[in-house]
Amino acid sequence: MFSASLYIIVCSFRNRARVRLQRLRQPRYFVGAIAGAAYLYFSFFARFRASRSSVARRSGRPPRVPASMAAPLAVAPALGGLALLMAAAGSWLFPMDSSLLEFSEAEQQFLFPAPVSRRQLLVYRILRSQLGMLFGSAMIGVFSPQGIGVSRLRISSAAWIILVTARIYFTGVTLARARLGASRGRTRHVAWLPVSALALALALVAGAVGDQWRHAPPADPLAGLILIGRAADSPPVSLVLMPFKALVKPLFAEWPGAYLVAIAWALVVLAAVATWVLLSDEAFQEAVSDAAERRTQQPVRSGEPIYKVRSTGWVLPPTGRPETAFAWKAAMQTLRMVDKRSLLRGVIILACLTIVAALMGRANGLASLLGAFSMAGTMFSVLLAPQIVRMDLRQDLQHLELLKTWPVKASAVVRGELVWPSLIITAGAWTMLAVATFLAGTMMENVDLGLRLGGSAALAILTPAIILSQLTIHNAAALIFPAWVPLGNQRPRGLDAMGQRLIMLGATWLLLALSLLPGAIIGAIIWFALQSFIGPAALVPAAFACTAIVAMEVLLATEALGPAYERLDVLAVERAE
Amino acid sequence: MALSVEHFGRTYATAAGSFTAVADLSFTVSSGEIVGLIGPNGAGKTTTLRSLAGILRPTSGRLCIDGFDLTEHPLEAKHRLAFMPDEPHLFEYLTVMEHLRLVARLYGVTDVADRAAALIEELQLAGKEQALPGELSRGMRQKVVIACGLVRNATTLLFDEPLTGLDPIGIRRMRNTIVARAKAGAAILLSSHLLHLVEEVCSRVIIMDRGQKVADGTFAELASRADLATAGSNLEQIFLRVTGHDAHQ
Repeated sequence: MFSASLYIIVCSFRNRARVRLQRLRQPRYFVGAIAGAAYLYFSFFARFRASRSSVARRSGRPPRVPASMAAPLAVAPALGGLALLMAAAGSWLFPMDSSLLEFSEAEQQFLFPAPVSRRQLLVYRILRSQLGMLFGSAMIGVFSPQGIGVSRLRISSAAWIILVTARIYFTGVTLARARLGASRGRTRHVAWLPVSALALALALVAGAVGDQWRHAPPADPLAGLILIGRAADSPPVSLVLMPFKALVKPLFAEWPGAYLVAIAWALVVLAAVATWVLLSDEAFQEAVSDAAERRTQQPVRSGEPIYKVRSTGWVLPPTGRPETAFAWKAAMQTLRMVDKRSLLRGVIILACLTIVAALMGRANGLASLLGAFSMAGTMFSVLLAPQIVRMDLRQDLQHLELLKTWPVKASAVVRGELVWPSLIITAGAWTMLAVATFLAGTMMENVDLGLRLGGSAALAILTPAIILSQLTIHNAAALIFPAWVPLGNQRPRGLDAMGQRLIMLGATWLLLALSLLPGAIIGAIIWFALQSFIGPAALVPAAFACTAIVAMEVLLATEALGPAYERLDVLAVERAE
Repeated sequence: MALSVEHFGRTYATAAGSFTAVADLSFTVSSGEIVGLIGPNGAGKTTTLRSLAGILRPTSGRLCIDGFDLTEHPLEAKHRLAFMPDEPHLFEYLTVMEHLRLVARLYGVTDVADRAAALIEELQLAGKEQALPGELSRGMRQKVVIACGLVRNATTLLFDEPLTGLDPIGIRRMRNTIVARAKAGAAILLSSHLLHLVEEVCSRVIIMDRGQKVADGTFAELASRADLATAGSNLEQIFLRVTGHDAHQ
């Protein structure tokens, strides 16, 4: 089975690379590959080369550590070990199961009926997950702030051991969790052993830290960290944390002797965890069968949302505009994906937090934090949400064969697809803006009240225009360049696909700026004309004017896109990889 | 007995409680026999086949392949088994030939090149050896899955709707393939909604409805039962009568 596992991995990798290279013959992927490569180069590698030009690195010496960081760095392995202990304990409470126990349909179809033992299946899954973990650890090394090439390789190696151990450990947790309530006493007791050990370890650590804290309360957060680290380094806590510190030590060990010894001990911990998991192969069969059973009952591909049929209170009338029918369709999707009660609870909690934060006064950090978060949420909703929320033609073009049979005017189809997503994104943005406006006094004390209110009102008026404009651009791209736009939850992978998305993002923002320009010019003229008479309130009529112009542009665009929709060939639509 | 099912039951846990897909099912299939497993949608046929293939665990009962209990001796049982499912799920980045080589490796088949060549010819997959699943039609993918099942000398073959997506030539060839394998000594359990095919190739028929076996016997035996058939009934009429969908009842 080991050779069969390697066969699947090597052949899949080779063929995937071949397919990706072959598709570079298509101009859009070729251009995308260039864009993706350029992005990576200028974002990461060019910066690394610039940072490597410093004298200290050229001389091969490690960068100097500031004196203030010496003490925290000395206890960093202990702190890291403590963090791993808490993660190890916390993982028992995660509601998810390990991904190593999830097999694809093909794997279920070929490997489950095959004469392959459970242990071999587990080893296969561990092997199969290595590519992703190697990539992840390589990225950690690449983004590491210190050192030159070789030290990054050391960091990557150390990170790989941590990632693999964590992955395998979480699989063991999933298997053991399934047996915590087993009827057989021995099975149950064995399953509870790691839980008990972790609870004891946490209690010891908490006791030691608490003792030290009481004797010498720290003056600042950094001192607090150092105190915790020193407590974690003292016996008997250091003994309890030994396996966790062993995993973290290679990240901080000096080359060569200390590093090699640290790596050896980390590998011992990895081997121990792997042994524990591989000995749990009896529970593996049940856990994997449970996962297969869930997949049988809910045959949903990974990443696709799960819909629950619930009464939404909106019954589509038998007559009316076709745009309303499309909006209703999208609304049903949203309301069956999102629980209304949970949403209402979230809004009530947000409202309560806002009121409490405002009542606590300006000096209170909660108000500033919430206000800043709300402002960021508003800007995210306005500028990025239309890219992410794809409940329009970017989803429905998957059903183009069906849409084309409907007796609906093409421009009405386009308009109808825009209605619901623009409504919900605008509602989200307005909610965040309302909170930010309410708390603006704490964040922007130096800004005049009139300007704050005028600015918020203007932004509220402009929000639907900006959102609708972006959605129109995205849907236009889907109609005019269908092969460039992934549909539904499809996410083509690879450097070329990333480059395509970057090009689309850049083009979208450029077109957005161009579409807002006429409205912005008219709005600016109105503001200049009125601001000397009515002050900051002039922002409101200016925003109205801009919004009206953008609305006209959107209306004209949807009419102009009608022929594009009519001409669209089902074969031109991008299919999933 | 090549295939033996004893008091097999399978229950699924659902949000609303539990759901029994199959209850107390027992039957056998001998070497060289082709047994048809038919029933309405949701009768439990696929659950039975997937449990026999080792994909689902039985909630109760015993499943044996050539005397090896699937739960107690899974490796020995699975060595003798080939499952050809209704939905062909292939590894998206393995070619047709690589799928065959993979299966050969899993089952210890040493002469995969010769066997693969013969199967590719038999199942009309010539020219598709280096194709990825994404380049194949549904029918072609179905043939690849069947080829993977037949590339080794399994003594028990499980077919779940093997003709879905095949063209008429493919259907005829598949039928001949199934009959040939039975003549070579394999025990075959075939689930299909194509009752004329079942009537043609199967020596015995098991009818399931709502998770239970409601009839088991050769076509002649079923046709001779007054409660199941009138004179001159074909399998479709027997099926409709047994499952309570006969308009004349």
